[in-house]
Amino acid sequence: MSSYTVLVAFFAVALASVIFWFVAPKENRTVWRSTVILSMAMMFLMWAFTYLAQLHPLVAPRRSDLRPEFAE
Amino acid sequence: MVEKYEAMFRSAEMSLVQVYIPQEIARDAVYSLGDQGLVQFRDLNTKIRAFQRTFVPEVRRLDNLQRQYRYLYQLLCEHHIKIFPEADEELSHGFQMAPGTSKIDDHIENGTLIEERTKQLAEASEQLELQKSDLEQFRHVLQAGDEFFANATGLTHPDSQDETFPHSVSFVTGTIPRTKVGTLEQILWRVLRGNLFFKHVELPEPLYDSRSKTKVLKNAFIVFSHGDIILQRVKKVAESLDASLYDISDNGNARSKQLVEINSRLADIYTVLETTNTTLKTELYAISKEIQSWNTVIAREKAVFETLNLFDFDSNRKTLIGEGWVPKDELNSLQGQLARLTASLGVDVPSIIQVLETNKTPPTFHRTNKFTDAFQNIVDCYGTATYREVNPGLPTIVTFPFMFAVMFGDMGHGMLMSMVAALLVFNEKALGRMKRDEIFDMAFSGRYILLLMGLFSIYTGFLYNDMFSKSLTLFKSGWKWPSHWEEGEAIEAKAIGTYVMGLDWAWHGTENALLFSNSYKMKLSVLLGFIHMTYSYMFSLVNALYFKNWIDIVGNFIPGLLFMQGIFGYLSICIVYKWTIDWVKDERVAPGLLNTLINMFLSPGNVAEELYPHQAKVQVILLIVALICVPCLLLIKPLHFKFTQGKESHNGYVATDSQDGGEGLVEHNDQLVKDDDDDEEEGSGHGEEFGDVVIHQVIHTIEFCLNTVSHTASYLRLWALSLAHAQLSTVLWTMTIQIAFNFRGVTGVIMTIVLFTMWFVLTCVILVLMEGTSAMLHSLRLHWVESMSKFFEGEGTPYQPFKFQPADFEVIE
Repeated sequence: MSSYTVLVAFFAVALASVIFWFVAPKENRTVWRSTVILSMAMMFLMWAFTYLAQLHPLVAPRRSDLRPEFAE
Repeated sequence: MVEKYEAMFRSAEMSLVQVYIPQEIARDAVYSLGDQGLVQFRDLNTKIRAFQRTFVPEVRRLDNLQRQYRYLYQLLCEHHIKIFPEADEELSHGFQMAPGTSKIDDHIENGTLIEERTKQLAEASEQLELQKSDLEQFRHVLQAGDEFFANATGLTHPDSQDETFPHSVSFVTGTIPRTKVGTLEQILWRVLRGNLFFKHVELPEPLYDSRSKTKVLKNAFIVFSHGDIILQRVKKVAESLDASLYDISDNGNARSKQLVEINSRLADIYTVLETTNTTLKTELYAISKEIQSWNTVIAREKAVFETLNLFDFDSNRKTLIGEGWVPKDELNSLQGQLARLTASLGVDVPSIIQVLETNKTPPTFHRTNKFTDAFQNIVDCYGTATYREVNPGLPTIVTFPFMFAVMFGDMGHGMLMSMVAALLVFNEKALGRMKRDEIFDMAFSGRYILLLMGLFSIYTGFLYNDMFSKSLTLFKSGWKWPSHWEEGEAIEAKAIGTYVMGLDWAWHGTENALLFSNSYKMKLSVLLGFIHMTYSYMFSLVNALYFKNWIDIVGNFIPGLLFMQGIFGYLSICIVYKWTIDWVKDERVAPGLLNTLINMFLSPGNVAEELYPHQAKVQVILLIVALICVPCLLLIKPLHFKFTQGKESHNGYVATDSQDGGEGLVEHNDQLVKDDDDDEEEGSGHGEEFGDVVIHQVIHTIEFCLNTVSHTASYLRLWALSLAHAQLSTVLWTMTIQIAFNFRGVTGVIMTIVLFTMWFVLTCVILVLMEGTSAMLHSLRLHWVESMSKFFEGEGTPYQPFKFQPADFEVIE
């Protein structure tokens, strides 16, 4: 688990986008291409930023309301 | 047939065509064009006043007929008769012929006839109604008279035995609206100085009032007083207060005789009135079945003549010449349409279509379908795209709902929203036919926007790990709590990995959850904002390349791009870079990015805590580049203008504005030039002076540099709103349904039901509806201001082809 995961996912999304560019339905092709590829890109970005933000955390969760029974 | 261009990325290519139509088939031809909705006709008669045009008499005739139909519709409404909807049989045929002229004449004749008849009937019924109410009031006064005189015996001479009054006492009787009784009494009291006897009784049923044309409550009254002059005065006062006066006898026997007579007259009137009303009703019922289809036919006929008025009428050659915009890929279908029409009418003179070369700006036409329509509307609300420029409506399909979802991220709320939207989408056929009020129509026409907003909200909610403010524990947490601790001891988790998708649920409910989610959401908004703006900015490059506007690339796009990327592109890269470094393991201090950016400007060359080696040098270079970009942005375009345009106009070069592009145009040349004078779109851009260019560019430079900063900051609303949404959702949970979990037994059950209802209703109303609206407005702003300002010109005119509109009476009102 490292920042390479993000790169791998990026290439996967890029590949999927390229494939979709060619297999998009003939009717309303522009709308299909733009909508699907843009959605994939935005969803990837959002996931990637969330993942990266937790990759090397600078703060750790802290709480004092946990009951001792909760310990594994 | 040529395949139609999709016309979503850019508007469709338009051609200016001239249509020559023989006069005898002009009406039919325009009718069939209106059926198809292909051509936007230009007005060729701008110099001729509206009432001097060729087909004004026809339009006026039809106007009158429409007025008659409106009168009938009003009558129908008054009698509470529903009009029958039109049978939509005509939708089935593809090709429809215009109705014959004789049919229209029939309609006109018929309309006048029906109007006269119904008017007569309505007037007669009104008249009878008046008489009826008059007699009824008389009857009431007579009946009240018995009471008046019985109580008024105190006024008679104590020694006289009969009922009659002395001659000196006379009286006035009548009816008056109940609201005015007090006024009448007061005025009479003042006028007669108290020298009167006033009595009134309330009449049981409301009576028809001729003045207000409604039924009002009335009172019958009687005034006793002395003397004829005073009596005249009383009558005047009463009449001025809308009272109706009736003479009755003071003798009981005479009164009952009068009553009998009136009753028989009333009975006659009742019969006549009933017959009249039945006839009117029958007539109106017959009309209600037909009026909708009549109105449609007439509205279409009128639209045809109004369009024909835009045509140039060449009386010598018996042809009408129309000019209009047609999408280039529809030219064939237009030609086919006219050919079919000529063939079916059996006319030997064909209609001719000729494509004109022109330098007029064509209208902007984006072909939308039921899915893209609502998104296109978002953009068109702001401005119509310039002809053939990149249509912002296309990326908006995704970015609008996604930006919304970033602010609205909650799986539960997203699901509620998608379910409602799905309901609208799946029943769109049934809902589309029904009559919708304003608010519901808004939701219905935006159903696909709602659906995408809901779906993306589920996704972002999943990443925020938020479902009605609770976390899901789908994947293995990246945090591990210590193996044992005392109750109440503050403990800190240890990192053992990274959560695969979304926010780690270990953060849920921790003391410093906000600290982490704030930093995450703030960086997320800056990054998304920067990417959104860069993406939009690239469209300005696409536009410049398409219009071969090289100076825009060199003078605007490249310096702007360098400026933007040098500051906020650098910040974005720093954010991502900082995430990828394991500061704890490397035992380095993580530098604050905000301070880094501020110090980059305030003390260039100095870096307090280094993010990466040679950071100081890189930042100085970026700063210099950004600073160089400002004068470039300011100067390149004006200088280029000075050296090219300025010189050319010096050599007597005038921008080509000539009209003689097409061959078939020669004979109309003077006419075309004539109406070019008042065409606003013409001539702009040619008269531009050097000063204008400089001022424009100065404004652009200042705006661009300031906007780079302010727009990036503006995207922080993504963070603010998503934070507010999450917090509000948590507060709602703890203040309602969570309380119920502290109770057991029957109380627990009741509390759960009550508090759950409260929680659910408030969730729908406040969190989904109210917060949703607010997030939608913010997303709208991000598109209109932050994104579209980067490339959108919006100086086009919308394409409005001549097409028959539905002619509902409700729509007219």
